Amino acid sequence: MIVESRELRMKHRIPVVKTERFWKGLEEGKVFKTVCKCGKSYYPPRAECVCGATTEWAEVSGEGIVECFTVVHSIPAGYEWSKPYRIVIASFGDVKIMGWSNDELKVGDRVSLYTAKDESGVWKVWFKKV
Amino acid sequence: MKVGVVGVGCSKFGQRDVTIQELAFEAVSEALKDAQLSQEDIEMSVVGCVGTRGYELMPAVVVNEYCGFAGKGPIRVEAACATGSAAVYTAYSSIKAGIADIAIAIGVEKMSEVDTATSAAIGGRAGNYLWEFHFYGTTFPAYYAMHATAHMAKFGTTEKQMALVAVKAHRNAAKNPKAHFQKEITVEDVLKSRMITYPLKLYDCSPIGDGASAAILASEKAVKEHGFDPVWIESVGYSSDTSNMSMRESYVGLKATRMAAEMAYKGAKITEPLNSFDLATVHDCFTIAEIMAYEDLGFCKKGEGGKFIENGESDFGGKIPVNTFGGLKAKGHPLAATGVAMVYEVVKQLREEAGNLQVDLKHYRALTHNVGGTGHFCWVFILGR
Repeated sequence: MIVESRELRMKHRIPVVKTERFWKGLEEGKVFKTVCKCGKSYYPPRAECVCGATTEWAEVSGEGIVECFTVVHSIPAGYEWSKPYRIVIASFGDVKIMGWSNDELKVGDRVSLYTAKDESGVWKVWFKKV
Repeated sequence: MKVGVVGVGCSKFGQRDVTIQELAFEAVSEALKDAQLSQEDIEMSVVGCVGTRGYELMPAVVVNEYCGFAGKGPIRVEAACATGSAAVYTAYSSIKAGIADIAIAIGVEKMSEVDTATSAAIGGRAGNYLWEFHFYGTTFPAYYAMHATAHMAKFGTTEKQMALVAVKAHRNAAKNPKAHFQKEITVEDVLKSRMITYPLKLYDCSPIGDGASAAILASEKAVKEHGFDPVWIESVGYSSDTSNMSMRESYVGLKATRMAAEMAYKGAKITEPLNSFDLATVHDCFTIAEIMAYEDLGFCKKGEGGKFIENGESDFGGKIPVNTFGGLKAKGHPLAATGVAMVYEVVKQLREEAGNLQVDLKHYRALTHNVGGTGHFCWVFILGR
């Protein structure tokens, strides 16, 4: 015998004030990292370096190299609208970037990045095989 | 000040038709009986529970009340899939600090109360929500699957070698009455099972289930006073790594494991891990995780984990039997229960109470390795008699 609990719905409101440049960049077709004068680079970007200094925004461009990937067939809640999707991590110099790709990729492939919305309307990073 | 484990308990793992507090009491009552103690003897109760899949939002409170520990703490700890080890470590630390002489670590998790897609989403949110799940729908199998593709590309590790980890786990679990799965499987069964997240198939993944475990720890003073016959905690190692996968140095191993192992080995003065333990229980939430653990714990060289399982080195009769109880893969992985259950299994082995899963003891020393998240946390315990 079981009891169905009372329903609880939660949808969080997440502040992205400190990383706004990144979020707007996606809509402009650009992907930004942050760099600090102490030599550290950040992706995901952050406005404050661990050293305490304020970081600067820098665009990521050029070709990356695929480090690992997977294709998700068992779709989680929140992605019901999606077909199986390919998640890729590629290195672009001093940062590694996670993104989606429609191309069949293997570790070591060279990729370029672009931004686009997914079917749920969320802007994100995508990779294209070079 | 030495700390010993003087009582252990573990519920049956699987889809359990009981509440979280009832489940916890199964393990707690067994541990109390094992130590021949009552609730009054326990000075500190630590409840490990991730809790995000259950209806109780403050599980430590209801668990403590039901188990008879109201007034004994409680402290709730959380370290993802290593929550149980965090509970044991917190109990151990409170004894080391002189706060308590006898403390209990409880690991309990009910994962079956939500549907599979919801459970997958909750697991996926446990990396770094905004930069991973929100954008890319990372699930837990996806995180380990990315390690698998990197390991396969760099070292030629095969899907068949990964399947062998599952076959060994199920073979052992079939002899463990507390295991979630009681059925043996073949390599073909694994390879033909449905794709969850390439290259991980259904039988490469640990199940969603429920379970509880408990360990009672005592100071050297309490051991003498009560006349316990303990298994001593000889050394503890712990470490952590970034929440974001994109900030990791590489994907062919877990830095948190290497650092935790190094700390534990240093503490127990171990220079040759392969020749120092009678058995090890390692974190095999997915088959690739066990292969990486062999390498990161120093049982074989980096890249040779696939061959290690293929050659039977981690099986009974091999160089070091690993996951003799069936592992997370087949005994089950109710998140917080896992780390305490690892201590339970090792204690049972070192006391020669493991029945038809008993290993031959030469060193009277064993290792537990518990990873939280995808290497977000790691604890390594070395226990001995």
